[in-house]
Amino acid sequence: MIDVIEAARTAGVEWLSLYAFSTENWQRPGNEVDFLMRLVRRVVRKHAPLLYARGIRCRFLGVADPRIPPALAQDFADLMTLTSTNRRMTLTVAFDHGGRRDIVEAARSLIRSGVPADAVDERHFAAHLPFPDTPDVDLVIRTSGEQRISNFMLWQVAYAEWIFPPVLWPDFRAPHFLECLHTYQQRSRRFGGVTPKANGEPHQ
Amino acid sequence: MSDTGSSHFSHTGHFSQAGHSGHTGSGATDRAATDRTTADHAATVQPAPLFGPGSQFHRLFNDPRWALGIVRATVLEAAHPQVGAALTDNSTFVAHPWRRLRNTLVSLQRMFGADDHVRQREAARLNRLHERLSGTDAQNRPYDAMDPQVRAWVVATLFESAVTMYRLSGQPLEQSAMEQLYTEFQAFLAALGVEDGHLPPTLKEFWQYYDHTVETELENTEALRIILYKLFDHLPAPPLLSGLPTVWAAGRALAGPVIGTVTVASLPEPFRRRAGLPEVPGAQTLMQSAYVAAGLARYLPEGWIETEALTDLLYLSPDSDDPRAATIAALHGRMKRAGALFRLVTPFPVQPDPAPGSERQRSAEEFFDAVLDQTGDGHLDWPDLAAMARELSSRLDLDEPEETRLYNAYAEWWKELQSALDTDGDGRVSKEEYAAAVPSLAGPALIRVAEVLFEATDKNGDQQIDADEYRTLFRTAFHRTLTGTDETYSRSAFVKDFLSFMSGRRHSTAYDPLLAQA
Repeated sequence: MIDVIEAARTAGVEWLSLYAFSTENWQRPGNEVDFLMRLVRRVVRKHAPLLYARGIRCRFLGVADPRIPPALAQDFADLMTLTSTNRRMTLTVAFDHGGRRDIVEAARSLIRSGVPADAVDERHFAAHLPFPDTPDVDLVIRTSGEQRISNFMLWQVAYAEWIFPPVLWPDFRAPHFLECLHTYQQRSRRFGGVTPKANGEPHQ
Repeated sequence: MSDTGSSHFSHTGHFSQAGHSGHTGSGATDRAATDRTTADHAATVQPAPLFGPGSQFHRLFNDPRWALGIVRATVLEAAHPQVGAALTDNSTFVAHPWRRLRNTLVSLQRMFGADDHVRQREAARLNRLHERLSGTDAQNRPYDAMDPQVRAWVVATLFESAVTMYRLSGQPLEQSAMEQLYTEFQAFLAALGVEDGHLPPTLKEFWQYYDHTVETELENTEALRIILYKLFDHLPAPPLLSGLPTVWAAGRALAGPVIGTVTVASLPEPFRRRAGLPEVPGAQTLMQSAYVAAGLARYLPEGWIETEALTDLLYLSPDSDDPRAATIAALHGRMKRAGALFRLVTPFPVQPDPAPGSERQRSAEEFFDAVLDQTGDGHLDWPDLAAMARELSSRLDLDEPEETRLYNAYAEWWKELQSALDTDGDGRVSKEEYAAAVPSLAGPALIRVAEVLFEATDKNGDQQIDADEYRTLFRTAFHRTLTGTDETYSRSAFVKDFLSFMSGRRHSTAYDPLLAQA
């Protein structure tokens, strides 16, 4: 994983998101979930100093379920605090994340803010999503040969390009990532022929 | 006594405003500056002013050794049975040492400043405060913080510790300087309204009085043991370092016993013997090295050690919107990040699992320790609530009769609490009793406290707390805590917020720094 992060940073990617655990993953067997939690905790602690030193801002998208062990939640909070002033790259780890839940949360927040229905547009709505500064996603790499969205950042992937390398995630390394980037560069992005937006330009 | 007791901290505090003539050596220009200042305050005696710039006190300000001297003086005060009993019963220095230190520094700034009016007002406030501190100790002996003998002893320990401080670091005071310093301390006692005759008239007689008191009156009191063996080992982190609990604890584990040992070694030998204090091999050398080393800090570049600046650091909580707090907030941000990194890189077992559950509301036990038990003795009784009233009065700088109204409201609340919570009838409320009966906390008497506090805060009596009034109480502007854009704070909103803090145990950016911060 750190290999891919390094490759992305070196290639000039400023926004990288990883899907670590979905809201549906809780349905997996208990011991598998426990193992995953311990693994994530070990990874976070192992790489924290390096992420900090590389100027990477880390944040965790989701992380709302009370089943998340408190020690892990503390590590997440610590890593976010530690790297909060970094700006070279933003690494978003989607953990206990669900794209639909984010949209529901945004709707709730919008209603609570008392905006009249007619005043709501896409830009307005997006401002209520978690981490509203996150730009639209340009490229999604779905490994392991699977070809589905799996409830990942639904709002932000509206015009993303998709690549489906057959390699399994544990084997996915820097060369694979660069290959995907290269493929992406060959794609012609038209955004439905509506707005010729530059890559990575945020919503606003 | 508590306030004068530790007040001593602060001789340093004041003088920093005046400049550094004591340290810079540029005597001529400093003298000129001092003369100009003195001319502005015609009341000051020309040749040797007793207060303000130009006094012997001046040499103490910003002297790092003075910190050691003050700890020593506090221990000698606490060894006096009456002072010790008053400290044990009433002082907040165990649970809220930094707040206590801030208050002391400010008080001494006022007492030793050049402005006579400020001094008189502060003396009156201190006297009112001490009038409320009396009772009986564990052996049923009465104590009274207004007893002139007691107050004289407090001043005596300060003077003697200043003299000893110079002596132990190898630069004893000259006789004339020592006499001048003694005169100034006598004037301090007089400014507090203690009539002549409680401190001996001459320095020669002072030493007899001092030795006699040490040999016959001092005891191994509970307050003494708390200061020597508990305070420094359990000192909570100051607000600024609160993001680094583990680092603070590690540093304290090393420094705590050293401070205790150094202080014990500097106490008069007859007293050490009688109180049964330990003789640690090498302690004398360690103690003298500490004084000499602290003395060397005088050679640091000017401005590195300024008590005034340190006081400011103690004052500012990082959440404040004071312009100076921006730096502090940045520093605090760095501290928080350092704390986060520290937790992430330390091995797993060191990290205790944070309590699961809501962040906004604390458990009854936490609230008891952080807010209610102001004296840190593990029980809730009248001195705890009196300490809250004292803190609020100082913040609001209350005069009579508002001060008494606030104390009375707290006294009523104490009666209410006692009758509702003290189930075993021992006259005080234990943590368990409190936790078992939390809901009954918001009785009419607590609401009355909120209302009296509102009225005291609303200085201009327009039934609204405006931004300035709010800042006086909470030291921050109110847009941070109040929702909406209202320019003022109404009585009902104030009462509601106070109750949600006191009885709902909600965290509050306004009240936490005021009552819970160390």
